[in-house]
Parts: sequence; structure tokens; C-alpha cells
Amino acid sequence: MGISPEYLGLLRASINSSPEWKQAWERTNDYLDALRIPADLERELLLLTSFERAIARKRKEPSVSPTELAFDEAQKALDATLGDLISAKVPADRRSVEQRVRLYLTQPTQNSVVSRGNRLSHEVLAALRDVRLEAVPRLQQAAITPRPFALNTAGERLASLAGKFSLLGSNRTLAWLIGLCLVGLLIYMSL
Amino acid sequence: MSGPGRSVRLVELVGSTRLDEVFRRKVRQRRWGVTLVTVCVAAIGLWLFSDILGSTGWSPIKVLELAVFSVLFTTLSFGFTQAFVGFLVLAEGHEPLKITNTLDESTPLASTAVAMPIFNEDVATVFGNIRTLYRSLQKRGELETFEFYILSDSTQPEKLVEEELAWADLCRQTNGFGRIHYRRRKVPVNRKSGNIADFCRRWGHRHRYMVVLDADSIMTGESVASLVRLMEVNPRAGIIQTMPKLVGSETVFGRIQQFASRLYSPLFAAGLNYWQQGAGNYWGHNAILRISPFLTSCSLPVLPGREPLGGRILSHDFVEAALMRDAGWEVWFAYDLEGSYEGLPPNLTEYIKRDRRWAQGNLQHVWFLLADRVRPISRLHLIQGILAYSSAPILVLFICLAGIQAALDHFRGHASSIPLPAAIVLALLTLLLLFGPKLLSVFHLLAQPELLRRFGGAKRAIAGVIMESLFSILTAPLLVWFHTRFVLRNLAGQKVVWNTQTRASGSGSRWIEALREYWPVPVAGVVFGILAWWISPMYLLWVTPLLLGLWLAIPIAQISGRSGVLRRMFQTPEEIDPPRELSKAEPFQLRAGDQFVHAVLDPFYNAIHVALQRRRSPRALELDEHHDNLAKKLFEGGPAALTAEEKRALLSDGPALAKLHILVWRTPAEKMNPFWAEALRAYRNEQRATVPS
Repeated sequence: MGISPEYLGLLRASINSSPEWKQAWERTNDYLDALRIPADLERELLLLTSFERAIARKRKEPSVSPTELAFDEAQKALDATLGDLISAKVPADRRSVEQRVRLYLTQPTQNSVVSRGNRLSHEVLAALRDVRLEAVPRLQQAAITPRPFALNTAGERLASLAGKFSLLGSNRTLAWLIGLCLVGLLIYMSL
Repeated sequence: MSGPGRSVRLVELVGSTRLDEVFRRKVRQRRWGVTLVTVCVAAIGLWLFSDILGSTGWSPIKVLELAVFSVLFTTLSFGFTQAFVGFLVLAEGHEPLKITNTLDESTPLASTAVAMPIFNEDVATVFGNIRTLYRSLQKRGELETFEFYILSDSTQPEKLVEEELAWADLCRQTNGFGRIHYRRRKVPVNRKSGNIADFCRRWGHRHRYMVVLDADSIMTGESVASLVRLMEVNPRAGIIQTMPKLVGSETVFGRIQQFASRLYSPLFAAGLNYWQQGAGNYWGHNAILRISPFLTSCSLPVLPGREPLGGRILSHDFVEAALMRDAGWEVWFAYDLEGSYEGLPPNLTEYIKRDRRWAQGNLQHVWFLLADRVRPISRLHLIQGILAYSSAPILVLFICLAGIQAALDHFRGHASSIPLPAAIVLALLTLLLLFGPKLLSVFHLLAQPELLRRFGGAKRAIAGVIMESLFSILTAPLLVWFHTRFVLRNLAGQKVVWNTQTRASGSGSRWIEALREYWPVPVAGVVFGILAWWISPMYLLWVTPLLLGLWLAIPIAQISGRSGVLRRMFQTPEEIDPPRELSKAEPFQLRAGDQFVHAVLDPFYNAIHVALQRRRSPRALELDEHHDNLAKKLFEGGPAALTAEEKRALLSDGPALAKLHILVWRTPAEKMNPFWAEALRAYRNEQRATVPS
């Protein structure tokens, strides 16, 4: 890394002394936690170098908050570390997503993905670069032949009969009246 | 009849080489036998009832009453006959004509899709069940020919995100990428049948068979592989339906249904197979379908008229079986194939809600009774489905006619002239038809000591049957009440809304909820009781079993929905001695909380979701702008600022969501909506609690 431990210690102390930078540190740290990146020396170095660059940028861009600067720099550092995992053809706005997908896929062995000392083999790296998350297989389309509905002779007769009485069905009051009349007639005839 | 193994066995059994002819004759004989018994029993009932009715002279009401009685009693008689035949088949211990006789373990498997259509279902259950089947097949070394399709029609934004991550998690856990697929339809046209049809259109030529599962279906690898083998050795089989056993219930209601189904169903199933043979039915899940004839013959027609009785078909399964049969394919019932399970609604309310959908769906089938090219046995299946619900209003009509007649008789002083011996014999015959199948099931169980042990022993099984019978006596009037309402509402033009089925167990509804849902039932029961008393005390006595269920509707609904009660009763073999696939069903773990918020915050949820979305079209600039505005609105106002539709729209735009993810993480707490600051804090705490540093 080329940074002395004393310098890193100092940097850490100065970050902790400023509430704004401390918040930035916590947020960036939380994000790395969310990515399940193990809390080891590699991660600490990634964070500190990101903050070193963010602090430098702050001098040039005073209106931008430390959280934004630190997060952006951490993203860049992650891009550099995980860049091998994705194809160079992936557009810039998609790289973060593709990196996270690969981190997710390799989660149980993630140490080897992030750690510089324990790199993945070329075959695995090549395979990871080719990964494309597809939830469905290639289409092998088929046509479903629609079948028209056809009534038989009795059905047609019934349907036409029902059609003649459709007025009753559409007028509920009339239907109730006729129904009650029929019941009345039935009772009268049964007396 | 085909397949080498099957031919040899059948030659042995029927002693002839003209198999098809012999088989057909045998089936014809069986069907005539069942018809004869049904008609004879029904005729005895009709004769007794006409004797009772005619004793005080005939009237138009009595003629109508007799006609309605004949429909109800014949249905009852048919059910009893089927169970009785099933009892004889099981007692004999050998059924020569069943599809599973042709099963040959050495038959090579063929490319099969396991398709599970889902709609806002419990994600852990869906993916857990798929994982169970996947691992079961993997363990048998038979995974190669299978692919799994989770076909989502879900509309809730939270479910969409959860399903995607569950899919990715499942694939990662099982190394199932490329074998387990997840497809979501943006517009769920034509519901479940449309979902399956969409699958067939997309991948219909990729597989020879498809095994259709419901969200709560669990099948073992052995049973699925057996279904494929049965299809391979029976090239004329278009569908093979299994008989799923009900499992996993925790509530009193669910466990009673589970117990009853496990104990009584084998008789009915064996009886059903006895007469239907290759002219069986399809229940929509836990079945295998041959895709090619399904594509050419089973496309559902649109019915004349509008919903609820016309339009698009709601209950597709019976119709698909009828269409398959019409195209010359066989539909078999592998009733004795082990390893097929399903869940059931946890309480009476959910059960009734499901019935509402099914009632409308089955009533639509009336059209097929009048349709061209529907085979007689398929018509019979459709009639049975229609009667499952319409028999309730028919029964109500019968009770009303009997009430009017009783009133007329009472006021004319004819009540005492009813021939008592005929009435007693008819009552006993009705009781026999109603409870005979239960009794036969108990006899069958007592004859099998090993199975009896797995039901908790003789005492518990018999006590269970008695309590189940009491419970069904009390709930039957409730179901009659609701089924009548559903049928009448459908006839009046009201249609059902397609809701997600609640499958999980719970603590049951609270008393106040039960009161709110069921209060009209006891009120109607009291009114009807007073009316019955006024008509004649004898009539009141006659309808009291019905009224009891109505009066007690609220406590029945409340108590039966409770879990953890009567745990030592209603035990089933699957509870006492669960098969490996059920006992090892570990819950599918997902991150708790609002899944939509996770899609924004969680780097993996967000990445998986974004990666699965289509890229933005360069020409859809207005749409992109709309989505960017939604993302801004979400960032500034929190999730409450968006409607469900807006959330769905935003979720469909990967780049907008990816940008939002970065925006939330890089913005200082004081510059963002407090919701996101709090969500980040909660997320961090949860993260620290679950992930070791």
C-alpha cells in the first residue's frame, strides 16, 4: 500500500475527532458490512485509503459532504478491487450492480474475492466475468391452438330460449315478482 | 392400453391378447355396475319418500319436492356407491386396472418441467417446497431431466422483490442456476390458467411433460419420477393426477380436515378409479401433463356471455381434462401413488373464501354440459363439480318446499298420517348413505394394524371419527348457507375477486372478527327456528340438526381456527411418522421486514433485482423520466409517498433503482427523509446482529 502504520493511525484519529467524518466512516463501514466484506486488514486499508482521497477532495469541493465523498471514494476503491470480476464491456453505470451480483454469488468464499493475498484462479475469474444472471431459459416458443366454444343442438335451443327470457334476468324486481307469483301459484294449486 | 410391461401384466390378468377390447368391456361392466347400485339405492329412497309424500295425497308442491329429493338422494347414493366399491377394492387388496400397475422403475426419464404458478404467495413456503423436491430428486440422482419454473403472477411490490431474492438464494444454495427458473408476468391475464398457458407458449417445446404444483404442494422426488415413468409407458395418457394428502395443518379446523381426508379419501379414490379408469379428472395441481396434446387441445375457450357465468374460465382444470379426453387422450388417477402432499386453508373463513372462487368456477361449467364434443364421463365430472356447490341451494329449496308442505299439512291436520315405518327406514337409509363411508373407512383402518398405529391407535382413531362427524354435522349447515349465497350471487351476476389464498396457520380469528363475519348466520337460524316452530313442532324437530350448526356458527368458526388445541386428537400417519421430505422441510430463511425497502437498501437485493430487469430502451425517454421522478419522490417522501402501482413501476426500472440505492447510501442522515435515516439505522443494527464481524 505504501502508507505507514503511523500515518494510518493518525488518519483514523482525525476521522474520529470530526462528527461529520465519523458519520461518513460509519456509513461507509456499514455499506461494507452490508456487502459482507470481512472486517480484516484489507478492508481497513480500503477504507482508510478511500478516506485519504475523500479528505483531499474535500479541500477542492467544500460544499460536498464527507459522507458523499467518502462513499464515492469507497466505491471507486471497490471498483478497483473487484474490477477483475466483471467484463470490461460492462458500462460504467452498471458496474456496481454487476460487482454486487458477483459478490453475492461468491459469498461463502468471499474472502478470496476481496483479499489481495488470496486471489481466485483464472478459470473462476473467467467464469465470473461471463456470468449473466438469467432467471429464465431461452424461449422455445410454441403455439397454443385456440378452440372456439360450440354448443350442441340442445345447448343452442336452450341458449336461444334463455335469450328470449333475458329481460327477466336483467330486471331483478320483475324476476322477484314472477318468482313470488310462481310460488304463490304453487301453494294455491297445492291447497 | 399400451407399454410392454403393462401389456404383459394385463394379459396375465384378463387372459386375452385382445387387450383393448377386453379392457373396454371390463370398464363398461364396472360402470354399469356402479350405475346399477346407485340407481337401485336411489330408487329405494325415492320409493320410500314418495310413499311418505303420497300418504296425504299428491299436490304440485309434493311433485316438485320429490323431483328435488331425487337429485339430492341420487347424488348421495352415488357418493356412497363409490365409497362402497372403493372399500371392496381395498379390502380385496388388488386392483388389476390401475395406472400404477404399469410403473417400471427401469423406464428412462424424459425432459420434464416442474411448474409452480404463484400469486402473492408466502415466499418461504413456495421456495421451500421447490427446494424439497429439488433435493429429493438430487438425492435419487434423477435431477438431470427436470427443470423447475416458478411462474409468478404476483402484484405486491414487496413480493416481487422477495421472490427474486428467494430464487437467487435457492439457486445459490442448490447450485440450481440454469435449472431453477423464475418468470414473472407483468400482466396476469387469465389468472392461473393464463399463467400456465404463458409458460407453454414460451417453453412448450422445451419439455415433454410438465408437473403442475400449487404453492403449497409438496411432492417427493420418487413420486414425480414415477409420474414421468408412468407417462412414458402409457403413451396414450395425457394427464395423470395424483391424490395429494393434506399435511401441515396446525389449527383444529385444518387438522380435522386433514384427518378426515386421510382416513376417508382412500375409499372414495379407489372407488373413483374403479369406474372412471382412463376417463379421469384433473384437479389443477400435483399432476403430470403431456405438453404436446395440452398445447394442441387444451386451450381454454372463452364462454358466451359475461362473468360470473360466462367470459373467461375461472376453474380450468376440469375443462382441461374434458378437452384432453375429447382429443382422444386418457386422463388417469394414480390414487395410490405415495409422496404427493398439499396444504389446506387454516380456518373456516379461509375455506369458505376459497369455496367462493371454486363455486363461481364450477358454475361456469354448466356451459360445457351444453357444449359440443364433451364426452359423457367428462360431463359427469363437470356435473359433480357443479353439484358440489349447487346442491346447497337445492337442499335449501327442498327444506323450503318441505316447510310449505308441512305448514299446509299442519293446518289441514294431516301431519299425524305420515307412514312412520317408511319414514324411519328412509331416515336410516339416509344416515347409512351419509355415514356409511366413514364406517367403512374405520373397518378398513382396523384391518391394517400398522396404519392404525400411525393414526394414533384404535381408540384415538375412533374418537377422532366421532368428533369429526360431530364437527361435520355442525359445519355442514354453515357451508350450505354460504354455498347457497355464493350460487345465488353468481346467478344474480356478482363475480368474485381473485384473492391470494391464505395457507399459513394462525391463532384463529378473534371473537369480535368471528362475530362480524358470521352474525347473520345465527340470526337467520333463530328466525328460521321460530318459523319452523310456528309451522309445526314436528318440522322444527326435523330441521334441528341444520339449525344447530347455524346457531353455533360463531363459536364454531372461532374455536376451529385455533391452533395448539386437541393436539393428541386427529393424528395422521404424516404427523406421527412424517416422510423424510416433510420432516426435513427446513424453513426458507429470508430477511424479515419490508421487502420493498430492502430492494433499495440491501446491496444484494438491489443488485439481484436490477440485474433481472430489462435494460432501458433508448427510445423510452418519457418513461425513464417518469421513473426517475418516482425514485425522487420515494427518496424525498419515503415508501409511503408511492402507491403500490408506482412502486411496481419503479421496480421495473433497474437503472433508476440502482441509482436510488447509491443515493440513499451516500446521503448524510440530515439531508434525507427521516424514514431512510431510520431504515439505515435499523438495517445496520440487524446486520450487526446477524453477521459475525
